[in-house]
Amino acid sequence: MSGHEFHPLVKQLLDGDITLADLPAELRAEGEEALRLLAGVERTDVTMPAVTWRVMAALERRRRRFLPWLLAPALAAAAVLVLWLRPGSPPPSAPVVTVRFVLVAPEARQVSLAGTFNQWDSHATPLVRTGPTGVWTATLTLPAGQHQYAFVVDGVRWVPDPGAPAVDDGFGRRNSVLTL
Amino acid sequence: MRSGSQATDGDIVRAVLAGDRERYAQLVERYRDRYARYATRMLGSVDAAEDAVQDAFVRAYDQLAQCKEPDKFVGWFFLILRNRCFAERRRNRTSASLEAANGVAAVDRSDGGAETAEQRRALQLALLGLTPDQREVFVLKHVEGLSYSEIAERLSTSVPSLKMRMHRAYDKLREQLRDHT
Amino acid sequence: MIALLAIPLTVLSMQQAADSAIAQRLAGRVPPQIASLVEDLGTAAAAHGLPIDPLIQKAIEGSAKGVPPDRVATALRVIAMHLDTAATALRDGGLPSDTLAIAAGEFAISAGLSGSDITALARTGANAAALTVGLRVAGTLAALGVPPAEDIGLVSVELRAGEPASSLLLLPADVQAEMAKGATAAQAAAGLARAAAAQARHGPPPGRGQGHPPPPHPPHPPAPAPHP
Repeated sequence: MSGHEFHPLVKQLLDGDITLADLPAELRAEGEEALRLLAGVERTDVTMPAVTWRVMAALERRRRRFLPWLLAPALAAAAVLVLWLRPGSPPPSAPVVTVRFVLVAPEARQVSLAGTFNQWDSHATPLVRTGPTGVWTATLTLPAGQHQYAFVVDGVRWVPDPGAPAVDDGFGRRNSVLTL
Repeated sequence: MRSGSQATDGDIVRAVLAGDRERYAQLVERYRDRYARYATRMLGSVDAAEDAVQDAFVRAYDQLAQCKEPDKFVGWFFLILRNRCFAERRRNRTSASLEAANGVAAVDRSDGGAETAEQRRALQLALLGLTPDQREVFVLKHVEGLSYSEIAERLSTSVPSLKMRMHRAYDKLREQLRDHT
Repeated sequence: MIALLAIPLTVLSMQQAADSAIAQRLAGRVPPQIASLVEDLGTAAAAHGLPIDPLIQKAIEGSAKGVPPDRVATALRVIAMHLDTAATALRDGGLPSDTLAIAAGEFAISAGLSGSDITALARTGANAAALTVGLRVAGTLAALGVPPAEDIGLVSVELRAGEPASSLLLLPADVQAEMAKGATAAQAAAGLARAAAAQARHGPPPGRGQGHPPPPHPPHPPAPAPHP
């Protein structure tokens, strides 16, 4: 038996079969250590509302892959027609601008950027923490035009950029605006 | 879409197998959150857990014809999710510790504070240092709150064998937590 | 194009083709009932010469943020309404249908400006490209807290003066700089509008010029900014 193993009685304590009071005095400290370990158990509920439609979309995508081959040329022709007839979209020759995003968040464990330029994907653009002062940065090259964005802190909190103009996002929060 | 009484799982499974694909969404909606927490604690991150739960539901759909007892869909689904979680761990060893920190609830909660958050992070990290079997019994008992008997029934194993796994887990956790303080 | 139209599309109608272009952009990103709503709204919008991009963007945004579908649906309908308002306002201002300008107008409205504000900017006579930038900047200024009067006042001065896009795009930063010195958003915008109007009359002040000689007569006191 190495020194790392809990006493069998302490293991019963961890199992919930006995209480701290049931332990002999010499095991009290170890018992308390064991209970502190259990105090670190994360029991909050987790919900995943997006899973429902993602599952159905995945099933739908797989179903579509098996469209009869006869339809494929007609689909391609139809797509070309739509492109021809769509009113004046300018050619994609837009100039680009390099933008540095900064958020001061000393308590954050991770910060990412989500916006119109990355399909609002909170995983796509993580910021990097520079130094101990809690300054998070990311540098992106974006096309000229209108962009909206927000920072996502610790994967759950959507935070607009305190230094930028803000608009109502239509969902009760604010988006930051970047006009290039 | 909703009638007076709720359809049983068996009814929905049979309907889907008969061609009513869209009704599968009802099953997903019913159970997607039930094991969300289990998957999150097993994998150490909500994102990885979401992927696993999503994959498991897609796989369950593919294998739906093999669900021998449609009225016990949820238990059958749990095993598929479980396999997916175990497979994930084999794939992603190195990114685990990074993600573990992210899988813990945000610091700004009213109960506890920075120290509790730190404890939680440390334990989740330590959990990822266990074997999947050990981690699972710990999660099912201490996170999901199941008894040893309930776990034994779900995993088709015996209570003594589970206790042995769990007690090894306790020792390993103690070792991991000591090493990192 | 006529030759292409002659291809028999017996399997899919054009409408269905347009729908699937929208569906492709939304695939895997939004729940089916939202995708379906975007397709309905988008089809109607496209039929009226309105841009569909703002609808697609908002649907993706709402889904990424985990917003319940019925709230996303509400937001989408509001955008559709704004697009309509913007298009009408631009037409009233003499600008023929331009989807980028309309999208910019929708943004301006979402930032708090009105249809008549948009018409006022259109009436400066700026071309579609300049007006698009002007609307984006006007919306951004509104997002900074500049009240509509000062906002439209500043942007119209710049548009009438034929300022290039690069100059217009600097206005929000200029306003922020003035605000950092203690001015309110309204004061900052009004001050910048006065400076812009003076510049339009007399050329750039010393140090900010493009090398032009100073005017021969002594400078007049700056005139108050024009209000719509």
